[in-house]
Amino acid sequence: MISQLFILSSKGDHLIYKDYRGEAGSDVIDVFYEKVTALTGDQPPVVMSHKDLHFVHIRQGGLYWVATTTADSSPFSIIEFLNRLSGLVKDYCGSLSEKAIQMNFALIYELLDEVLDYGYVQTTSSDVLKNFIQSEAVSSKPFSLFDLSNVGLFGAETQQNKVAPSSAATRPIQSSRDPGGKSEIFVDVIEKMSVVIGSNGVLMKADIEGEIRVKCYMPSCSEMRIGLNEEFSVGKSQLRGYGAAVRVDECSFHQSVQLDEFQSHRILRLCPSQGEHTVMQYRLSDELPSAPPFRLFPSVERDSAGRLLMYLKLRCDLPPKRSVSLLPEGAGLSQELSSPDQSAELQLQNRTVFWKIPRLCGGTQLSALFKLDVPGLSSASMLEVGPVGLSFELPKWTGTGLQIRFLRLSPVHPGPSQRWVRYVTHSDSYIIRI
Amino acid sequence: MQEWASQLCENRQFGSKMTDSKYFTTTKKGEIFELKAELNSDKKEKKKEAVKKVIASMTVGKDVSALFPDVVNCMQTDNLELKKLVYLYLMNYAKSQPDMAIMAVNTFVKDCEDPNPLIRALAVRTMGCIRVDKITEYLCEPLRKCLKDEDPYVRKTAAVCVAKLHDINAQLVEDQGFLDTLKDLISDSNPMVVANAVAALSEIAESHPNSNLLDLNPQTINKLLTALNECTEWGQIFILDCLANYTPRDDRESQSICERVTPRLSHANSAVVLSAVKVLMKFMEMLPKDLDYYGTLLKKLAPPLVTLLSAEPELQYVALRNINLIVQRRPEILKHEMKVFFVKYNDPIYVKLEKLDIMIRLASQANIAQVLAELKEYATEVDVDFVRKAVRAIGRCAIKVEQSAERCVSTLLDLIQTKVNYVVQEAIVVIKDIFRKYPNKYESVIATLCENLDSLDEPEARAAMIWIVGEYAERIDNADELLESFLEGFHDESTQVQLQLLTAIVKLFLKKPTETQELVQQVLSLATQDSDNPDLRDRGYIYWRLLSTDPVAAKEVVLAEKPLISEETDLIEPTLLEELICHIGTLASVYHKPPSAFVEGSRGVQHKRLPGSAGSGESVESPDTGSAAGVSDAPPAVIPSQGDLLGDLLNLDLTPPATTGPPPPATSGMQLGAMDLLGGGLDSLLGGDLGGSSAMGAGFGAPPAAPAASFSAPVSGGLDDLFDLGGGVGMPMGAYSPPKTVWLPAMKGKGLEISGTFARRAGVIQMEMTLTNKAMSVMTDFAIQFNRNSFGLAPAGPLQVLTPLSPNQSIEVTLPLNTVGPVMKMDPLNNLQVAVKNNIDVFYFSCQYPISMLFVEDGKMERQVFLATWKDISNDNEAQFQIKDCHLSSDAVSNKLQGSNIFTIAKRTVDGQDMLYQSTKLSNGIWVLAELRVQTGNPTFTVCLKCRAPEVSQCVFQSYDAVLKN
Repeated sequence: MISQLFILSSKGDHLIYKDYRGEAGSDVIDVFYEKVTALTGDQPPVVMSHKDLHFVHIRQGGLYWVATTTADSSPFSIIEFLNRLSGLVKDYCGSLSEKAIQMNFALIYELLDEVLDYGYVQTTSSDVLKNFIQSEAVSSKPFSLFDLSNVGLFGAETQQNKVAPSSAATRPIQSSRDPGGKSEIFVDVIEKMSVVIGSNGVLMKADIEGEIRVKCYMPSCSEMRIGLNEEFSVGKSQLRGYGAAVRVDECSFHQSVQLDEFQSHRILRLCPSQGEHTVMQYRLSDELPSAPPFRLFPSVERDSAGRLLMYLKLRCDLPPKRSVSLLPEGAGLSQELSSPDQSAELQLQNRTVFWKIPRLCGGTQLSALFKLDVPGLSSASMLEVGPVGLSFELPKWTGTGLQIRFLRLSPVHPGPSQRWVRYVTHSDSYIIRI
Repeated sequence: MQEWASQLCENRQFGSKMTDSKYFTTTKKGEIFELKAELNSDKKEKKKEAVKKVIASMTVGKDVSALFPDVVNCMQTDNLELKKLVYLYLMNYAKSQPDMAIMAVNTFVKDCEDPNPLIRALAVRTMGCIRVDKITEYLCEPLRKCLKDEDPYVRKTAAVCVAKLHDINAQLVEDQGFLDTLKDLISDSNPMVVANAVAALSEIAESHPNSNLLDLNPQTINKLLTALNECTEWGQIFILDCLANYTPRDDRESQSICERVTPRLSHANSAVVLSAVKVLMKFMEMLPKDLDYYGTLLKKLAPPLVTLLSAEPELQYVALRNINLIVQRRPEILKHEMKVFFVKYNDPIYVKLEKLDIMIRLASQANIAQVLAELKEYATEVDVDFVRKAVRAIGRCAIKVEQSAERCVSTLLDLIQTKVNYVVQEAIVVIKDIFRKYPNKYESVIATLCENLDSLDEPEARAAMIWIVGEYAERIDNADELLESFLEGFHDESTQVQLQLLTAIVKLFLKKPTETQELVQQVLSLATQDSDNPDLRDRGYIYWRLLSTDPVAAKEVVLAEKPLISEETDLIEPTLLEELICHIGTLASVYHKPPSAFVEGSRGVQHKRLPGSAGSGESVESPDTGSAAGVSDAPPAVIPSQGDLLGDLLNLDLTPPATTGPPPPATSGMQLGAMDLLGGGLDSLLGGDLGGSSAMGAGFGAPPAAPAASFSAPVSGGLDDLFDLGGGVGMPMGAYSPPKTVWLPAMKGKGLEISGTFARRAGVIQMEMTLTNKAMSVMTDFAIQFNRNSFGLAPAGPLQVLTPLSPNQSIEVTLPLNTVGPVMKMDPLNNLQVAVKNNIDVFYFSCQYPISMLFVEDGKMERQVFLATWKDISNDNEAQFQIKDCHLSSDAVSNKLQGSNIFTIAKRTVDGQDMLYQSTKLSNGIWVLAELRVQTGNPTFTVCLKCRAPEVSQCVFQSYDAVLKN
């Protein structure tokens, strides 16, 4: 159970403080701040103890969200709770920032009163909470939806070639009570890839962790049906039919999701409550349905002048017409690049070379040659040239091939309502060994 | 604060909209007056704004308690938003203004009857948070009503309120019968109410460990399992944690609970998942391993655990700490999931290190190639700490998986080739361990290692390298040169290296005596004369004496075969592991410490244990049962074993404590000794006459004076009556108590000497000790603990040493004991391992207690019962002993034994031989029956013992012997 809860700004200012059990004084806030700022990089920050008190904290929106406990309670539930709480505050206040918290402190105290009682978590569902919360949120910036004339054109479902601007999803849910507020739903399919490709080019490990996230700004809750690929299968044994089935090893669902149509038709049925939720999480290990999106052909050698030469050729194996944006990369240890809009820099303190590629089209390849003066370069230190890590963002593409077939709301809403489906794949850790 | 205010001012300018932040800006003097006026305003809006300002000041830590009456006046309102704000204020300041708080009581009572359930709940929630004793009694009636409210929202709030009230005034809650109402709420139709009732009851039950408040029986369990499916994720956590405390009656019940808990594993909330894992891990202990379901369950546990690793790094870390425990308990769950523990490039270092640890635990013959390939990659990463750990991990793999040793060694050699300084050093440290584990197998690599000698600058690596050189001196041609090079800077080395160098050179000398006399002489004199370090000096002397008295023995000791090092390292001790498994998902599992180590003691933390297996086959360590017959001898002693053989030797008490002993020797006699040593010792080694006659030894010079003095002292503690400081406590009547003996010599106790004995006085077992401080500094903070022992002896109270013990002072302490501690069979049976702590260190020693002090006063059996029991016990359990040289008459014998609670029940005289029939009862209820034959004029008695637990007979006989001869 949670003894106290407080929110601090990154500078250590007290924004919110609530004591639930009277077990410790408010002086521990400063103790916490001292401790957390004194942490070094290799110490696990998760739990810290001070006398009989244990601090559990997370950082969200540049703020410290801290809970203290005196008993042997579960750090998992506390962290999970703090994450939900920050999500709730974000949902209610529109964004997470020092300013937003200060402006809405009465609302946040109200929330804290409802979500925790005597340190026991009561509920974190915005659906339940909306019955109890009286205060109105104050938005930090006057909310302007993106150009409305633009939206009118694309009212249809599953827009593939039009993406809602990212600011659209940051506004308080409560303001949708206002008459004339937009009713919108965003469904995001977000995947994180972690790949290890060995020095011989063999794929050694590939994992995808994905989630379907729903952001709902519907004033009243109606039933929503999300259809996934029909050939979607879970587990290693159940392959259906021929061809490229979309398979995941394991998936878990938010508890509000009803799965009665999932087995037969791959439909998730839910009544989305306002705010942001992760509806489904899934994981796929080892067997990717397609080849990894990037391949690197490195060659590292020592030239006659004793310099280290690294020649890197990067190929994007995505189908043509798909373009990738933002592709900075770090290699294990000066420079020549193949095209003008790229840049590279050497970071001495962590002994890395960064190669930034703003955009890369599917089916193309880029190359770079780095020459490094390394004092005392020996043949053995060639072994030290570390792996290449890629970080990238691939919009409109999922590694598992998961697609949202349809998104239906029932009963059909009167008035304009927008439904947005977005796909994105991030690199979690995409490593190519040399 | 200034900064805060200015920033807030900035916010204020922002837009024309009213924002809460403006409330923070009032920093002027006299604001309290202003606020007072506003609070008393007639306009509702103005009032609300004013209360908001007050709360804002409160948050930033300003004292606004002066406004208490004005704020409370605002309480009577139908505006819910305003009411909430006032309540918020009230919760904060009621404690500091208890008299004023009473003003609020009326409103609470009224609000609890409000038609709006939100207001009723708000009132009941707030009033529990006002921790003022005076008003609690006014709250009972409203609370009682709210517990039976028609609205579940009010009921669930009231359920928690009972826990709040209990914390303030436990007696009141019991008297008012709230606990029963709370128990009824477990059967409530609303799952939220059930969950809160469970949480409240669990908390209350924790402060009454024996109250059986949460009466878990199959019916309630069934109710909880039903509620589990319906309530919120947070409620599910309370319920699962509560289920984990239940012990199913049999494996069938355990299986059915597991079946109903399993669906929780796919919950999106990782806290729910982990609580479910805890329940399953615990109840799995009950399932027989050959059951199909057991295998299914094992398979089901893996995916959710793996999924936990896709969370944020913080959660990952917590998950990994838990997985580390699970893997130690049941490695089979994750044995196929090795790949998920491979380190990602962007993991934070603390996650990387945890993953590495789990990788090693999961390493097996099947996956070792994969693991090694990974580890080799890690060893070339940038982060130094991680690289070091990775190299160590390769060594641990070699030791754990024998088949992989060769590959590991070649991987390590590759790494040494990189010449990266810290990699080389780590590699050498682990190669030393590999040599220990697989002697005489990989010596071919020594040459490569020697090439890197110069680059080693860390003590651990230097020590490891020196060990290798010493151990394999005969195969390294220039071993003497290598070691000599280290010797140059001997005094600049760390102790670890110095000790290792000393040993290595002695080894070298024993192996190649001809060429290395000078070297050994040099090192011995460096160690004994020029060093201030007692460890080094003592080790130096011991070698010196060994070499001078008996070189053959020296060879046996120094070059003895070393015990193999164990396979698995860093394992958590099994009993601790069991306890931690019961705390999966909690802080204990992150710290890897039992909750008692960090949760305040007053709560009466109970040690949780896994239930024993009901099924066949598996031998799970069962929780200890009270009876001596059922003692298990499985778990190893907690007393740490000494290091290696030499360590043992050195830890023996060599010299009298520093205060009385002679000052460190630097006499000319020493020099003589040193010269002689090489004369004689060499002869005997070279002469090939390894028969090791003492005549040869005599050829050695007299050993240096100081060591000689120290060696004349008895070498072992605890056995010798020479140390009898107590001077034999006179025992005219009553139970026999042996004289005090030295249990902890001052040498081992860093100056603390403990001598003691056991006695039974007026039915109480006592440990009587003399603590003597032979160190130079004051000793304080004494505490004592026993290891588990055969009869459950445990201290009945703390060790009472009230005043600090100043140097050269002795103190007599009597520690009453009871026999309700944990039981474990010891060998010998009456062995007791004790740990004594003071401000300096913790010391361990073991002593043997006379079993006679366990003989209880009501040990006199009825004649009839005696007869029946004697016949009943089979003859296999009979043991016969002789007591020699005892010149007592049978009556005297009887009297003497009676004093020690050995009761004579009958006496018979046959042919001039007295037969005494005697009975004795041990503190754990074991009866010992005896027949003692005394022949007049014959000093040898025969005693014949019968007992259902025949292992005690030997000890009982020893007591007979001791009692009769004293």
